[in-house]
Amino acid sequence: MIVQAHGLRKEYGDTVALRSLDIEIEAGGIVGILGPNGAGKTTFVETLEGLRAPTSGSVTVLGMDPTTQGKALRERLGVQLQKTALPKELTVREVLGLFASFYASASPTNSILEKVDLISEANQKTATLSGGQQQRLVVAIALSHDPELVILDEPTTGLDPKARRDLHEVIRQLREQGRTTLLTTHYIEEAEQLCDRVIMIRDGEIVADGAPFDLVGRSSESSTIWIHVDGPMDPAPLIAAGVLPLGQEGAHHKFVTTDPTATILALGDMLRSQGLRLVDLRLRRPTLEDVYLEFMGDAPDDATLEDGAESSP
Amino acid sequence: MSHPLRGLGPLTRAYLLQSFRSRTAILWNLVFPMVWLFLFGFIFYRDDASLMMPGLFTITLISGAFFGVSYLMVSEREAGILRLYRVTPVSALTVVLANAIRAMAVLSISVGAQASVGWVLFRYEVAGSVTLTFFIMLIGAAAFVPLGMFVGSVAQDMRTAPAISNLIFFPLVFASGAARPAFMLPDWMQAVMRIIPSSYLVEAMQGVMLRGHGLVELAGPITVLLLTLVVGAWFNSKMFRWETSEPLNKRAMLTAILVLTLLYVTAALLAPDFEMVRPPGA
Repeated sequence: MIVQAHGLRKEYGDTVALRSLDIEIEAGGIVGILGPNGAGKTTFVETLEGLRAPTSGSVTVLGMDPTTQGKALRERLGVQLQKTALPKELTVREVLGLFASFYASASPTNSILEKVDLISEANQKTATLSGGQQQRLVVAIALSHDPELVILDEPTTGLDPKARRDLHEVIRQLREQGRTTLLTTHYIEEAEQLCDRVIMIRDGEIVADGAPFDLVGRSSESSTIWIHVDGPMDPAPLIAAGVLPLGQEGAHHKFVTTDPTATILALGDMLRSQGLRLVDLRLRRPTLEDVYLEFMGDAPDDATLEDGAESSP
Repeated sequence: MSHPLRGLGPLTRAYLLQSFRSRTAILWNLVFPMVWLFLFGFIFYRDDASLMMPGLFTITLISGAFFGVSYLMVSEREAGILRLYRVTPVSALTVVLANAIRAMAVLSISVGAQASVGWVLFRYEVAGSVTLTFFIMLIGAAAFVPLGMFVGSVAQDMRTAPAISNLIFFPLVFASGAARPAFMLPDWMQAVMRIIPSSYLVEAMQGVMLRGHGLVELAGPITVLLLTLVVGAWFNSKMFRWETSEPLNKRAMLTAILVLTLLYVTAALLAPDFEMVRPPGA
């Protein structure tokens, strides 16, 4: 286990940021922490980084206690902070060289700059970089010493779709290199496209945990089915199988079902018995967004799709 | 195991590059010292440039230490740059030392420029050793830079930093014989002067520059300045904050103020009269 947290609790005065969190994360892959603002995402990752001491409970990262062994831990940890700034009078190359000097061993500056596609900006001052370039530089700093675990706190917030996609590519490369990446986000699509595992947090508690594909499968949300057949159709056998008709949409009959597999089987039988031919079938399964909304309930929600939408075909 | 000072060289270099490339820093470190020089040389001390220089150097060192150093620390912390250092293995000691070395280098340039331009314009004289003069300047810088950093650690943000700096700067300048010669100050102010840290720097600077004293005669004020350096450096290591959200170490702050007060009250009680309270030639 690369991260182990048991009964992790963090209070700020009267506010409880984390309530008794139990999380274990294995090495390799991309793990997303998803939740609205104030859910406790940043507190959780900053506890792993040793920036916040837990009120109670235990946490180990790479087998070390972040509070007491922070310095040794940071040799093997790459961190991108949500709120930070770069020395604006220094160039990209100078900043990267500076941070590399803090570590026992570091990768060559040029190879990292190539990795995050900043090689042509190497001699530019950081103040002249765009938001996306600055964010890639902060990520480059986090990668400058070949860390085993990379923690990215909302790395794509505020970036345009192109900059976001570029950064996603960098994060995917980390997975290919066998590194573990832990990232917080409030973009649901980002979590769905990028993460091997998603942990949803609400009010300092875990409300869902699993692969995006499995989480969607576990959802109690209904699927919608649109059917277009080549003649008049009697939907009674479908309704008998528990499917709810929602009328017509153009040439399509629309239904909702909580069990799409059973519905498809019933549909096959119905078509055969009524001698109909299927012209078109469309199925919309619940998305991770539906799962998110289901678990977050009435939590003050600012997780967004519109900003996160980038590459849906 | 990591070396406690790993990254000191590159970080110091980075800090120096930032100072040399920043227009604000150039304004503070080169333009302002020149403004003080012209103001003093052409208006306040027209006939006595030699008497002016020790106080002027002291003002430059104090303003550099309080405004330059504390502002940079606070703004770097407020912007979140120190946070970015905090998630690396770099130690607080490295960051504090790199800051101090940068401040010393920048102050040397400020005072050096003032000394050179001042000499060209006003032809002031140095009665004692020029080497000792520079040595005392360095000790003065080393004593006041930690006090400036102390303010940098105490101040919460860029609104409180100027308030605290000004609160300390004005007594250090006007109640020390730096701005106005000590012998021209009223008796009660001459008494207060003995508990003001910068008075000991003015006394040592005047000692070497006006009266030609050597290290032995100036051992008293130099010792006081060195003790200030030790106390300031020690408390800086206790007070350094990476983030604005970190609580201020109030206990260390109060202890520092108490120890410094004790140091200066003791100095005021034990030290012989300042020579600077007598007019030159009296």
